[in-house]
Amino acid sequence: MQTSLIKKALSNPLSLAGFIIIMFVFVLSMLAPVVAPYDPNYIDVKAILLQPSMQHWMGTDGLGRDVLSRMLFGGRISLLVGLVAVGISTAIGILLGALAGFYRGWVDTFIMRIVDVMLSIPSFFLILAVIAFLTPSIINIMIVIGLTSWMGVTRLVRAEFLSLSEREFVMASRTLGAKNARLIFTHLLPNSLTPIIVSSVLGVAGAVLMESGLSFLGLGVQAPQASWGNILTDGKEYIQFAWWLSLFPGLAILITVLGYNLLGEGLRDALDPRSGSNR
Amino acid sequence: MIKYLVKRVLWLIPMLIGISLISFFIMHLAPGDITNNEAAFNPKASEESRQRLREMYHLDKPVIVQYGLWLKRMATLDFGNSFASHQKPVFWQTVDAEGNVTEGMIQQALPITLMINVIGLVITLALAIPLGIIAARKYQGWQDRSITLFNFIGFSIPSFWLSLLLMYWLGVVHNWFPISGLHSLNYDSMDTWHKIKDSFNHLWLPVIIPSITGLAGITLFVKNGMLDVLQQDYITTARAKGLGERKVVYTHALRNALLPLITIVGLSIPGLIGGSVIAETIFAIPGMGKLFYDAVLMRDFPVVMGILTIGSALTLIGNLLADVAYAWADPRVRRGVAKT
Amino acid sequence: MPPSFSLNTTTSILLTLLITGCGAPTDQQNQIDYNVNALKVSGGTLINAMTGEPSGLISMIAGESASSAISSNIFNSLLKYDKNLELEGDLTESWQISTDQKTITFKLKHNLKWADNQPLTSADVLFTWQAVTDEKNASPYASDFLLVKKAETPDPQTFRVTYAQAYAPALDSWAGLQILPKHLLEGKDLHTTAFARKPVGSNYYKLDNWKHGEHLMLSRNANSVLGSAQIDSLVTRIIPDNSAQFLELMADNIDLMGLDPIKYSRIIPARPELLKKLALYKELGNSYTYMGFNLKHKPFDDVRVRRAINYAIDKQEIIDGVYLGLGINIASPYKPGTRWSNPALQPYPYDPAKARALLKEAGFTDSNGDGILERDGKPFSFEIITNQNKEREKSAVLIQRRLKEVGIDVRIRAIEWASFISRFIKTGDFDVVVLGWGLGLDPDQYNIWHSSQQAPGQFNFIGYNNPKIDALLEQGRLELNPDKRMVIYHKFAEILLEDSPIIYLSAGYGLTAIHKRVKGIDNPAPPAGIGHNSQDWYIPQALRRNEISTQ
Repeated sequence: MQTSLIKKALSNPLSLAGFIIIMFVFVLSMLAPVVAPYDPNYIDVKAILLQPSMQHWMGTDGLGRDVLSRMLFGGRISLLVGLVAVGISTAIGILLGALAGFYRGWVDTFIMRIVDVMLSIPSFFLILAVIAFLTPSIINIMIVIGLTSWMGVTRLVRAEFLSLSEREFVMASRTLGAKNARLIFTHLLPNSLTPIIVSSVLGVAGAVLMESGLSFLGLGVQAPQASWGNILTDGKEYIQFAWWLSLFPGLAILITVLGYNLLGEGLRDALDPRSGSNR
Repeated sequence: MIKYLVKRVLWLIPMLIGISLISFFIMHLAPGDITNNEAAFNPKASEESRQRLREMYHLDKPVIVQYGLWLKRMATLDFGNSFASHQKPVFWQTVDAEGNVTEGMIQQALPITLMINVIGLVITLALAIPLGIIAARKYQGWQDRSITLFNFIGFSIPSFWLSLLLMYWLGVVHNWFPISGLHSLNYDSMDTWHKIKDSFNHLWLPVIIPSITGLAGITLFVKNGMLDVLQQDYITTARAKGLGERKVVYTHALRNALLPLITIVGLSIPGLIGGSVIAETIFAIPGMGKLFYDAVLMRDFPVVMGILTIGSALTLIGNLLADVAYAWADPRVRRGVAKT
Repeated sequence: MPPSFSLNTTTSILLTLLITGCGAPTDQQNQIDYNVNALKVSGGTLINAMTGEPSGLISMIAGESASSAISSNIFNSLLKYDKNLELEGDLTESWQISTDQKTITFKLKHNLKWADNQPLTSADVLFTWQAVTDEKNASPYASDFLLVKKAETPDPQTFRVTYAQAYAPALDSWAGLQILPKHLLEGKDLHTTAFARKPVGSNYYKLDNWKHGEHLMLSRNANSVLGSAQIDSLVTRIIPDNSAQFLELMADNIDLMGLDPIKYSRIIPARPELLKKLALYKELGNSYTYMGFNLKHKPFDDVRVRRAINYAIDKQEIIDGVYLGLGINIASPYKPGTRWSNPALQPYPYDPAKARALLKEAGFTDSNGDGILERDGKPFSFEIITNQNKEREKSAVLIQRRLKEVGIDVRIRAIEWASFISRFIKTGDFDVVVLGWGLGLDPDQYNIWHSSQQAPGQFNFIGYNNPKIDALLEQGRLELNPDKRMVIYHKFAEILLEDSPIIYLSAGYGLTAIHKRVKGIDNPAPPAGIGHNSQDWYIPQALRRNEISTQ
């Protein structure tokens, strides 16, 4: 079922493009230590703000560091933030969604009210306040983005569980005396996996974008550690002049986030063309 | 209908308590004694403001009592005064003995943010609805694909980067729009017509950027809604009756497809308020986002808590209004048949 | 992988946008030749920008630079500094110091008036002193004035203060205190009074209009005690984002902006269309950037280690690479060229060999051959923290590399200012900071170096404790004779350099771009900086902005 879904999604040229972009960016970031032409932190004060050239394909920054190398290593950080944050939010979402959907009753009501409360607080405000109060660091950023974006997954998982519970094979296992844990892990969860994957793919896009926004406000990944967000923020001061400092990270974020969005939307579409988008 | 309304309003109470708990928790996230957290580099001033803080938050009492007392003040809309040296009221204006009015910080900022976001939302809807309809009618065609691609590019671009590019291109190179700010310097001496024109000019960029980024979600929603409706029985019936495609789409299908949009608009309120931080910083707009960001950086806790609470309460009210509007518009809910 | 990997349609649109964007701005003003020498006529508007809004215009309460930058145009002090940084009268005509050096008598000028036509007398000065020392106002500037034992007003023209013991920084402190009108503020809460947003002062300008979060407009004060300024109105716009500010400068919507070294020496000079309308100014500021040790943490309590690190850092490299040459390598905590700066002292040279020798002497050896030194089995590794200031971040990165070369492992963290102060500085939870000090004109640095100033929130947060330095600082406060004071502070700087509790990285220049329509600015800047005669700046009629279309 899953392979056919992916096949179906990738028959859409946009999703295919998204998939290719994601793989491309992922592979490049993983290979950063191999393919980066320079040490991303190597300073050459005699070569600051050089335009893109054969030596420096993306030019150099204000300390003469190679922008391409920083982009490659920064990509690792940005993707790491995106993936871990989504990992956290998905884990919480699955847990709470499963509890709500499986036990129903007051457990369900209670969890869904928490979801409503979390949804009604402007999440960017929440993230800003928590990161600023806890001091910005990669780990804090990942945790906080994760802790403020699990509500969608919770709703999804709950809805899946509710509808699956009505299905015959679940009912059958239940009457056969299957234990709750067994029921959840062998029947309910595997069958809810696809929508979770879709929402995670979209979540990565949001988290990468979020990191760049936090960097703009000075609360993102902190220098001298490179991330796409803080390379872009560094470059924004000279956007008209040292254009390479902002163009490359800007495009990298744009294309990567676009890739995740296109793939995610394609998967969703393939899964159920009529399901509404809830962003 | 009335029963439904009462039920919805009653639900607000536990929700508000939940929100207040989270806001209160966040303030206590700041390490150590919150009085130790002022950004000022000044031992004397901070000692004095610490005392104020201790009194205000009853820090000598147990946490649960602190929370209770704080909740009591929230309930009377008393959000206290800012920790900044001007000590302005956080929420609403006060008048001193001589009749000097000191406006509240949220009172000043909220209308600006609301105005920009409402205009932005209207523009977004005005673009998203036709785009969504086209995408649904040409589902999987090139129109659909290019609309999706275009929308997602808008959604994926870091908004501050797009803002700066547009500010440079439209403001500096072409000089078509003011770059930042809300009014021209000589705004007060303009006549009404020029005032409107001036405001319009200044609002153009800050409004269009959130619209570009917000377009994707709503277009998709309209598209999916239309796809959904177009497959349903009554549309097939209408078609079978020989009604023109145009009539089918625009009278029967559209109405039903747009109904759920009301809920989405309600749900998007916190995102709009929260997203305003970056836009307001870059465009020099003194709204809620800028106020919140400054307060966070200055550890101005009364303002942080005030905005979190009021921002969330607004969202709840927005959602409530959306639900009521939905219920009113959808006969099934009105009759109490459908889900809560 | 070629850099053009991302050239699909979207990006090429963006590229076009960017490349077309690189052309010259097409404003009509570009045709005007701003280099003409035009007649000095008063009038016009000067538009400035700030990143933060002042919280109020009573600067002794607000205690922030945004506030005093504006209020200094509205209020006067008793004294001020002239272009050569010598004290002269502002509200005072003359002042006298008693022979025991404990009493200062200020004679005010005649017929001083507030902008609302009320007379300005010594009662206002007394009121201001009472306000700044009033505990309930909690002014950050109180400490200097609390040393005044007695303040009195024998007549409306005379104000006399008596200190318990001679206090050398006294005159400087009076030059910094803006005098407030008693008749409008008596009995008011200075924190919440509406006066802070509707001030009445005595200086060249008065506040016309303050649009919250947008701008403050000042216009000429007809009652100005010092005569009339040339420019009619000063506008300060609040533009939080620096990049947006720079765009406004390019679009001719603001006249003045502080620059970083890259904009100053790389970007603007390379752009003829910007050079045509912007004049660049540099002035040596009274500030420096330093790397400071937490002296309570090991191994920074060991002077050999501190000196070794000082030798290991190439300061000239930082000045060239980070400040693009716009900095000076210093050896004392004073502005180079002033009398307080000891010309005999030389900065620590870059000498990694000496650094290694000193570290070895202090017991550090690379026992396991990983390139990092160890002592007692523990590697020499620490974290440099700095606030989010690009120059400081970059300096830290250069330091990291140089220290690695002598076997010290350094991590860097740049932290947003409020967290930086509350989490690390106030708690003393740091190893090494890279920060800057902006200093007053008086050489007294008691607050920074005296061992009594180490409480949380006080300025000696590195925990420096040296009885010899304490004694010199105390002595320097009691000595009013400038020549004798100079000897004291030269000695102070010498010991400080030897002891190396901090490493001076660079004394940087203040860099400013001002639109060429503004004339009358001293270039090169005198010791007091370009702003010392801003009341004489003028904008010739022909070069003024079309004020109707002012955005």
